[in-house]
Amino acid sequence: MSYTQIKLTLGVIATVGLYTVLYRENKFYRFFEHLFLGLAAGWTMTALWTETLKGLWWDVMVGKAGEGGAPGEPGYWAWALLLPIGLMGYFVFSRKHNWMSRVPIGIILGLWSGQQIQVWFNRYGPQIWSSMKPVVPTTGTLFAPGTIGLDKAAAAEINSQLYPSQALSNLIFITTLICVMSYFFYSFEMKNRFLRGMTTSGRWLLMIGFGAIFGSTVMMRFSLVIDRMYFIWIEWLTQGILHR
Amino acid sequence: MSMPDPMPKKTLADRLGSVDRTTLFGILILVATIPLFFTLSVPNKPFEPTIDLFAKLMSLPEGSSVIIQTDWTVSTRGESAGEMEALLRILMRRNIKFAMYSAADPQAPQVARNVIMQLNEERTKATPPQRLYERWNDWVDLGYFPNAEATNNAMAADLSKAFGGRSDVTPQGSYANVFTSPVLAKVRSVKDVPLVIIVTASSTFNVIVERLSGKVPLAATVTGVMGPESQIYHSSGQIVGLAAGLKGVFDLETMMEYGLNTPGPDGKVVVPSDSHPAIPGFPGQINFAKGKRYYPTLHATLFLLILVVVIGNIGMILARKNKT
Repeated sequence: MSYTQIKLTLGVIATVGLYTVLYRENKFYRFFEHLFLGLAAGWTMTALWTETLKGLWWDVMVGKAGEGGAPGEPGYWAWALLLPIGLMGYFVFSRKHNWMSRVPIGIILGLWSGQQIQVWFNRYGPQIWSSMKPVVPTTGTLFAPGTIGLDKAAAAEINSQLYPSQALSNLIFITTLICVMSYFFYSFEMKNRFLRGMTTSGRWLLMIGFGAIFGSTVMMRFSLVIDRMYFIWIEWLTQGILHR
Repeated sequence: MSMPDPMPKKTLADRLGSVDRTTLFGILILVATIPLFFTLSVPNKPFEPTIDLFAKLMSLPEGSSVIIQTDWTVSTRGESAGEMEALLRILMRRNIKFAMYSAADPQAPQVARNVIMQLNEERTKATPPQRLYERWNDWVDLGYFPNAEATNNAMAADLSKAFGGRSDVTPQGSYANVFTSPVLAKVRSVKDVPLVIIVTASSTFNVIVERLSGKVPLAATVTGVMGPESQIYHSSGQIVGLAAGLKGVFDLETMMEYGLNTPGPDGKVVVPSDSHPAIPGFPGQINFAKGKRYYPTLHATLFLLILVVVIGNIGMILARKNKT
């Protein structure tokens, strides 16, 4: 058995082991669950050192000795101060000294809070602006003609118009937006029948949205099952063992 | 002596409403397996955001460098691996260099390196064989960054400082600063790259949009569950293209095979789009992979789900009728 076959076979055993929970909770499942957790934790610790801390912190801190007459790089020993600051975070587990953990947490919170105004505008600003859509058509032709094969000027002329079909689409968007937002007005009682209708339709529209998101979630979970089946039957059995 | 009461006979409603869970899982596994052994084709009309992603990737200047934030691991291999493979196939065939890093999971860089290794193997087996995509000369690995917010902020402020401490392996086997590699030699600011692409299965997508949108064109490939919420960023122009889930993978593969606004073998345009010019694909090369393989199987599993929901509801309706 080659190294690849052994690797694939172990993968299949682990996959089957984890899927046995579908039948019921069992020791086989527990073993592979803990094996996975241990491997992931070990990998994370190693990767943190090799991929991040060594290059970004340790090497910079200790510098580099010159080789073959080449000048070395000086070490920045002030970076050593980062270690005790980071370690202070672990004092969160100590009743007596947990105040020390507030130092690194405070630094992180301060940095994070300082970014939030800009971050909020960067994320939601363009979405708010793009929600302002025109609803009055500028031409009587119902649908926008195709622009494939047209020169740039002709395509630009077509794209500069708002066709009734696009206007209707924009109207549906804006109606949905307003109805859904009206659902979140909790400060006053909606006595007006029209306003009540808006909030009710807002709730329905939200439900439709949640349904679409749930559908996507189910599709994703199925994709993961399909991939595992592909791994077992095609990658391992057909290609790895039977060499077809 | 009285006889014990016989077990009450199960009605159809009872049977429909109490199908054994293990049986259902068994059927699901069969349905998710059998179609994988057949070459089935499903008609496909690519989504506009994925068409935009393909058009953007195909319009990148040959020889230019892009940045890839790869934030997925084997836990979402079913969708993310297909996205990563399609994305890298396009970049490699167009000789676009890339620098990749991860800001979500320490396992992610290794998973991405595995995909590159697999694609290089595929390139050497191709007829005629294609050149290997070389680490250092064609792509560099910037490794793992433990905090997405800080990383993307630093990238927006000064890319040369954000990646300045990173080294990668040269063809001679020694380590050197990534900015001395052909990939990043001409890059000092995020504005020097024509595109930043994120392949993600996590909320780092929101973080990168918050920090980098408006400063550099952004594109994304996300999991299916993230699809609806991610599409908002495309509608608002914060990202230039998006592929979501298995459908996104199949869309990309379809355009890689047939191109955009390009006549197929029968003279018909397979993927038409008003927003883009004619873009030929890569006919005759390996374009269809995980997307085409998994997509029909996904339809079979969804059909099973709908069937089970209908059966369950019929059982419930019958049970209610019996009670009344």
